[in-house]
Amino acid sequence: MKKNNILIASVLAFSLNSCVVVKEYEKVNINDPDMVLSEKKCDRNLITAHSYREAAVGANGGKTGGGCGCN
Amino acid sequence: MKQILTYVFTLVCISVNAQIQKDTIQTYKKRVLETVEVDFLSSYYTQEGDNASVSGGIGTEALTDATGTIIVAIPLNDDDILTVDAGVSAYSSASSSNVGPFDGQQAADPFVASSGASSSDVWSSVSVGFAHSSDDRNKLWSVNTSIASEYDYFSVGFGGSYTRLFNEKNTELSLNVSVFLDTWTAIYPTELRPFYGGNGINNTLFANNAVTGNTNYNPQFTPFNNVQRNSYAFGINLSQILHKNIQGSLSLDLVRQDGLLSTPFQRVYFKDIADSFIENFHLADAIEQLPNERFKVAIGGRLNWYINQNITVRTFYRYYFDDWGINSNTVSIELPLKLSDKFTFYPSFRFYNQSSADYFSPYNEALSTDDYYTSDYDLSNYSANQIGFGCSYTDIFTKAHLWKFGLKAIDLKLYKYDRNTTFGFNIITAGVKFVMDN
Repeated sequence: MKKNNILIASVLAFSLNSCVVVKEYEKVNINDPDMVLSEKKCDRNLITAHSYREAAVGANGGKTGGGCGCN
Repeated sequence: MKQILTYVFTLVCISVNAQIQKDTIQTYKKRVLETVEVDFLSSYYTQEGDNASVSGGIGTEALTDATGTIIVAIPLNDDDILTVDAGVSAYSSASSSNVGPFDGQQAADPFVASSGASSSDVWSSVSVGFAHSSDDRNKLWSVNTSIASEYDYFSVGFGGSYTRLFNEKNTELSLNVSVFLDTWTAIYPTELRPFYGGNGINNTLFANNAVTGNTNYNPQFTPFNNVQRNSYAFGINLSQILHKNIQGSLSLDLVRQDGLLSTPFQRVYFKDIADSFIENFHLADAIEQLPNERFKVAIGGRLNWYINQNITVRTFYRYYFDDWGINSNTVSIELPLKLSDKFTFYPSFRFYNQSSADYFSPYNEALSTDDYYTSDYDLSNYSANQIGFGCSYTDIFTKAHLWKFGLKAIDLKLYKYDRNTTFGFNIITAGVKFVMDN
């Protein structure tokens, strides 16, 4: 229940903030390579190792299927 | 007449001007990708542990893996990108070697690697992707296909995604789907093979290697009929710029798998059946049996904060659950520290935990009367910490050259991962990015 509340609050926060518009000329910091909302390419094999060794997959841009990872 | 000519002339001028403007817009439309980009990725991975699933939850998990990947992104025109991604991974695995532990060279033991054919393998993969952006760059769709192969496994994948940007590119909504159609070449533990269509305990394996403990060795073994494994994934991602220094995203992934979800060579030992051994190796009572369906749900969020020109905070949280009874949390934080305009230092920390699958039992604790059982400790209850350090070099002017390609970035990272069990791994990852001269 607590997790659901956090999720709903997050969605609402995002929705409310969607009214805020950052103009293109204000996106210098947002466009910094370290601000990208995904893992860096060089971390791909780390993410794959996690997906093989851990039960949890998904929601991180990593692989969600394919391959057995059974070794 | 003069008025008509003037009118026509004016129309022609307006039309030509409009065409010129249109052409001008097309001429100056920013390309999605300016030039060919080539990424070389590599990693070296080592792991250790004492709960090998191949030997039923006991034995060495030592494994090393070296991977090399090349990714080439080619702009086909202003709007379209073709990406080719090819990789090879060579690994050697002590636990896999014990699919056949009776090599006659040393006493069979789950903590000692054997020299069997299954001790090493090469995985190779190729994928091709195509992406198209609309003229206003507010719509993007992509498709991709992939194949991957190793000795006992073959995978074909298809996927696609659609992304829509709105709110002056402050909000991004993406939908993606993927399908993987995999096929096993089922390999079973050597001591079980004589018990299906063979001569059982009269096989030469048991004539040449004395069975100790319960000498009336008679395992439960029937090969799998279905060797297909299919995965279907649907994902949705919402990204939002919250402030000129903060942006975040929410992701939901739904994954359904069906087919052979068990691993054919993973042994299980029953506590209600007397133990049989050859040398120091416990002979399998059965192989892992898991349901042939699984549904996974992952909900994740990222929040990145550009504090100042020297420090950025990158955070990630994910909650995961599936219908095998596993619940999991993942939290990570990375603090890129810009040391100069070219060098960035990347310290990071990650915490992960998961509950046990309903079908998991530790070594020699499963019951022969159960429908499903596994002693794969990747499905057990555990928590893990990971620390990482890395450094990147970036040269936006690509001064260093290799033939027609300028060096744009080098990344090098090291991660240490430790469970609260005996399992742990280290991985070194490296990436080098080149861009072709215009």
